[in-house]
Amino acid sequence: MQYIKTLRQYGIFVVFIIISLILSFISPQFLTVSNWTIIITQASINALLAFGVTFVIITGGIDLSLGSMVAVTGVTAAMLAHPDTFPVVLPIFAGLLTGLLMGIFNGFIITKSKIAPFIVTLGTMTIGRGLALIMSKGRPISNLSDSFNFIGGGDVFGIPFPIIVLAIIFTICSITLKKTLLGRYIYAVGGNEQAARASGINVNQVKMAVYSISGLLAGLAGVLLTSRITTGQPNAGAGFELDAIAAAVIGGTSTSGGTGTITGTLVGVLLIGVINNGLDLLNVSSYYQQVVMGAIIIGAVVLDSWNQKSNS
Amino acid sequence: MKHLYSILILSVFLFASCNQSKKVENSGEKKIKVGVTLLSMQNEFIVNISDEMNKKAEELGVELISVDAEHQPLKQIEQVESFIAQKVDVIIMNPCEVEASSPAVTKALAAKIPIINVNSATSTKPTAFVGSNDVESARIAMKFIADQLGGKGNVVMIHGLMGQAAQIQREQGAKEILKDYPELKLLAHQTGEWDRAKSMDLMQNWIQSYGTKINAVFAQNDEMGLGALKALQDAGLKDKVIVVSIDAIADALQAVKKGSLDATVFQNAKQQGAGAIETAVKIAKGQPYEKELMIPFQLVTKDNVGQFLKK
Repeated sequence: MQYIKTLRQYGIFVVFIIISLILSFISPQFLTVSNWTIIITQASINALLAFGVTFVIITGGIDLSLGSMVAVTGVTAAMLAHPDTFPVVLPIFAGLLTGLLMGIFNGFIITKSKIAPFIVTLGTMTIGRGLALIMSKGRPISNLSDSFNFIGGGDVFGIPFPIIVLAIIFTICSITLKKTLLGRYIYAVGGNEQAARASGINVNQVKMAVYSISGLLAGLAGVLLTSRITTGQPNAGAGFELDAIAAAVIGGTSTSGGTGTITGTLVGVLLIGVINNGLDLLNVSSYYQQVVMGAIIIGAVVLDSWNQKSNS
Repeated sequence: MKHLYSILILSVFLFASCNQSKKVENSGEKKIKVGVTLLSMQNEFIVNISDEMNKKAEELGVELISVDAEHQPLKQIEQVESFIAQKVDVIIMNPCEVEASSPAVTKALAAKIPIINVNSATSTKPTAFVGSNDVESARIAMKFIADQLGGKGNVVMIHGLMGQAAQIQREQGAKEILKDYPELKLLAHQTGEWDRAKSMDLMQNWIQSYGTKINAVFAQNDEMGLGALKALQDAGLKDKVIVVSIDAIADALQAVKKGSLDATVFQNAKQQGAGAIETAVKIAKGQPYEKELMIPFQLVTKDNVGQFLKK
């Protein structure tokens, strides 16, 4: 009984530990510092997107345009990141700004038109992909400066730079959601929009904020990805939104809104990363990898609903 | 009927919204009209073929209507139907899929409009085929690896999207060569989905599990080869591992020039694009043409990369 109770309380975290333990028994390379550095570096881009979409999902919304935003912001940054043209701050700043603007656009349409976020972001997803192709003329943009490539490929005291970015963003997002007024408003809007409005919360402003955060983080992810693969690609990020949403859901964010944590999402991101890495280490065919990943997503949601029933 | 016609014109206009085909000025004599449907204008290699077609068409005074099938066989069939309705002289199709694009060929032939397949094949035989044999490209790449390793060692292979014609044929070519060299072992193979970032992740994971056991990497396209290369460079292993890929895109040629990528295989987009238009003109004018115009692949290494960089 005790075990079941623990499993209910810590749900996905326990699953994460169990899967990691199993993998470390079957694959001797799994539990090494170098392997974990790789897992976390690889997961960092999905983590940024998943953090952003966690904010959105908690308010009861969804953001399907993440992957396209990664492409647009990545191409934008790449266009400005050729050696000896501009200082490295400019492509980074331009990438972030583009993401922020696209997020604001999402938020603006959603709050003004009252169209479902699913539809609006489906539209901006397609628009974004088109823009990325127009800007790049359908070709990858290469020959980026070394200082720009450092963001995704360099390290500080042996720690890869993407991991440092991940740690900083994780801290900021956690604090925002847990300790600030905005964080409380986000939960309130997702829990019960009418009640939130009645209690004087400007619901539209809160929604604008979450889509802007999502866009900004997608911009950061785009810059990071472009720098990591040292080229801006119009096709980059296809399907990333689904990985990010999956990570948030696995981490306990409810798609009906009102619940979810950044820590939970991080565990979800790492779980996906660990499974991808572990199955690669074991040389499992990618066909099976997809089946396993799908089963885990459904399992996580079942666990979550089970958890909620037992709480109430 | 009038309505149908205007809908067709409108749809062609919409499909053609992102192509750069140039309408040739009317100069009395009747222009040859060619309809082109392409697999995807999001693919650099296809964009290169398309650019070359436009250039050649302008040179030969051919009117080109080119549209993007966006990887969807159904859309491609509809595009061919609309070409038939417009009574173009010749159709050029860069098929989305071996089986699913076949009905388009059948329909064109039934309407007595010649159809040319460019770059990849359909199961139904078209009037003419212009392209290269993907199996051959992988043979060339794997043969290079075998020669470099003296026929002995461990190879990993990165697949494209599983089930696509190019993936199937490149795997087949690679395995044919592996069969000839029993001491050349395929240590692991996995899909990188034609994507640079995915392949970089995959290679990092392989380095973790196999470390210095890997002697060579064969990636089924350059994007993936460059991703694997980046992972090997980051791990400080590049000197010990041979990386070979296919397509000879600009980035890959630069990498070969620098000596980081050991080899790539050049698939001639220009000759494929120009060849398709030339064949179309010959067919339209009733001149003799080659039923299968095969454009040969070429291995690109540091020794001969210069001639490809100029192209």
